[in-house]
Amino acid sequence: MTAETLRAAAAQPTNLRYGKGLRKLITPVAIAIVLAALYVWVGTLQLDSIEQRSLNSAVIIQKAIEHLRLTVVATALVVVIAIPLGVVASRAKNRLITPFILGTANLGQAVPAIGLLVLCTFVMGVGFQTALVGLVAYAVLPVLRNTMVGVQQVDPALIEAARGMGMTKGQVLRRVELKLAVPAILAGLRTSLVLTVGMATMGAFVAAGGFGELIINGLKLQRMPVTIVGGVLTASIAFLVDWLGGLAEDLLKPRGM
Amino acid sequence: MFETDTGGAQIQLRALTKQFPGQAEPAVDSVDLDIPAGELVAFVGPSGCGKTTTMKMINRLVEPTSGEIRIGGEDVLALPPDELRRHIGYVIQQIGLFPHLTIGENVGLVPKLLGWDRPKAEARTEDLLALVNLEPGEYRDRYPRQLSGGQQQRVGVARALAADPPVMLMDEPFGATDPITREHLQNEFLKLQKDLRKTIIFVTHDFEEAIKLGDRIAVLRNQSHIAQYDTPANILANPADDYVASFIGADATLKRLALMTVDEVPTEGPPDPALPQVETGTSLREALDLMVANGTDRCSSPAGVLSYTALCASIGREEVAAGDR
Amino acid sequence: MSLSEYVASRWDTLSLAAAEHALVVAIAIGIATLAGVGIGLVTHRVPRASNASLAVSAGILTIPSLALLTLLIPITGLGWTSTLVALTAYALLPIIRNTVVGLRGVDRATVEAGRGMGMSRVRVLMKVQLPLAWPLILTGIRVSTQMLIGIAAIAAFVDGPGLGTQIFEGLSRLGSVNSLNATLAGTFGIVIVALLFDLFFSVVRHLTTPRGLRVRN
Repeated sequence: MTAETLRAAAAQPTNLRYGKGLRKLITPVAIAIVLAALYVWVGTLQLDSIEQRSLNSAVIIQKAIEHLRLTVVATALVVVIAIPLGVVASRAKNRLITPFILGTANLGQAVPAIGLLVLCTFVMGVGFQTALVGLVAYAVLPVLRNTMVGVQQVDPALIEAARGMGMTKGQVLRRVELKLAVPAILAGLRTSLVLTVGMATMGAFVAAGGFGELIINGLKLQRMPVTIVGGVLTASIAFLVDWLGGLAEDLLKPRGM
Repeated sequence: MFETDTGGAQIQLRALTKQFPGQAEPAVDSVDLDIPAGELVAFVGPSGCGKTTTMKMINRLVEPTSGEIRIGGEDVLALPPDELRRHIGYVIQQIGLFPHLTIGENVGLVPKLLGWDRPKAEARTEDLLALVNLEPGEYRDRYPRQLSGGQQQRVGVARALAADPPVMLMDEPFGATDPITREHLQNEFLKLQKDLRKTIIFVTHDFEEAIKLGDRIAVLRNQSHIAQYDTPANILANPADDYVASFIGADATLKRLALMTVDEVPTEGPPDPALPQVETGTSLREALDLMVANGTDRCSSPAGVLSYTALCASIGREEVAAGDR
Repeated sequence: MSLSEYVASRWDTLSLAAAEHALVVAIAIGIATLAGVGIGLVTHRVPRASNASLAVSAGILTIPSLALLTLLIPITGLGWTSTLVALTAYALLPIIRNTVVGLRGVDRATVEAGRGMGMSRVRVLMKVQLPLAWPLILTGIRVSTQMLIGIAAIAAFVDGPGLGTQIFEGLSRLGSVNSLNATLAGTFGIVIVALLFDLFFSVVRHLTTPRGLRVRN
């Protein structure tokens, strides 16, 4: 679930690339095959009444919607919060807080997501909003850090050239710095997206629904098929979201870079 | 702004000083300099002597601590800095092309900032690319990273010329290119400047480059103090002091010969087909090279025979008679 | 009961849980380091192979931990084994990636100099490339460790060891006297374990970085 490190490094210039072109189709095809196999496998089982209550299309669709809603809303909030904060933190006069943010981002990784969620529950009770706060708090840092670092990493010569041709500071930020930071920001967003979709599974612990509920109920009621279906669906949705994130990255990246 | 024509405007620096906070000495100390309209003045000096800082005060990337800057008579420090910079061309060593914009977009940026309409800006972009010998149809839609270093540097020059500024500031613009490309870019640029007659300040630490490109050279020492400010020929002939002489190096006379052509030397008699031949426009340095290579003291140009004695006389040196040695 | 009283009264349980937490992470990191550096050493010269191993380990990292842990139950059962397998799998990517990047990043001239003075390819790899890449590899291990310490908390849900048990205890007795204390003790205990590991790695980094590389910093 903590793919943070992976994407954070993807923002660094390495010539390592995982998959392009036709290989882009591998993920959705593999997901489709796994889901089909799961469907066939469940079809061969003799489900008892408890299992039937969880494993029907109405429940699964509802869990999918809950899971995605939590992920999408949390990610949207992360974008709104983290990118402006990252830009503010990147400004020269705020450089002093840079090490603080980087330190918190690194340490924040060690705070267990489940602990954070449960602690939120003590403050806000159980439910969607609690899960949302926990998720956002957890996923804000990678985007904040990548935005800050991405803007700071822009070649000073480009900024000098921009200033030298008469761009205002605002124009330099909008037309040069932010544009060139887009790959790093997108990488951070994809990290936090994968983080969020994984952590949304734990939303079930605080009664926020999602596929995690199938996993937990299956274990509680000792119905392995339910747990396995929950696990496979959770993994599938994570791969799907990551894949969509990758597509978005390719699409939104400025050309020429 | 600068209501003179765009062919060039005079730049005047008066007691221009920059004191960076936390430093004992000013980086630039009370510089006075007049740069005539349409001339290229090379600032030469060791790194850290303040030549770049002096230049950057003119487009106010560095704000002067005190002093005065006038371009075409107008007080630069009274103008809004961003607006000012849009009317001053600026080329840096790292070029600084924006990698996320096409070549066309890079060149068209300043016209866009100035609010030109699209067709006018696009036409200007095409003209400029053609001017720096890049076929617009081929290069306009490419990205900087798809170009070689030399091509990128040409785009950098085109971008600086986009709004047809009367003044250009160039900070070691050809410093990062290999010697062959650099020579090529220098020659192209000389040709361009012959037509454009912009007022140009050209920072370099390469004295050869300064001689080649500069109408005048300002040799700077620490804190941007001007050691000598004159034409290349005069500096080579009469270096003001040892400091300037050390910049010129041991072959000052050869460098002077390189600045003159065979057409400037009086010839004797008609062309002689038996002698080594030089063409019109050949530098005296090359002519001398040819004589030494052929073991003669004469060569022939279309105007007549050129002797070693005449060559020495042309730079104010009498040939020492053999008997006096 | 205040948090400090809670910690004092359950010191034995908490310290055992913390030790187990550290132990399970340490074992997983140990295995992952051997495997990851090994994979990196073998594949770094073949882009196809290293990219494939990177893609697979990146894929593993995409699977939410709760899903991976529960999907392991039918294979490796509840408890330590599942926890170790999952943690080891998660730790691979940063270690493989940094090994590959580090080995590839060693200056070509340095490698050629080694070859030129008659060292075999394997000798150059072990005597030149690996020591030079080591700081980066160590960073990968450190990053993996921090990540595992967080993930290990969830292992308690599948009867795994560690401080996660405290958090789940707090969750299951929501509203009772000590539920908040248990959650806080578990969460902060994990952060403390993470800090101790980080300190450990700072020392290791200092001791194992070739002297010539430290000088430059």
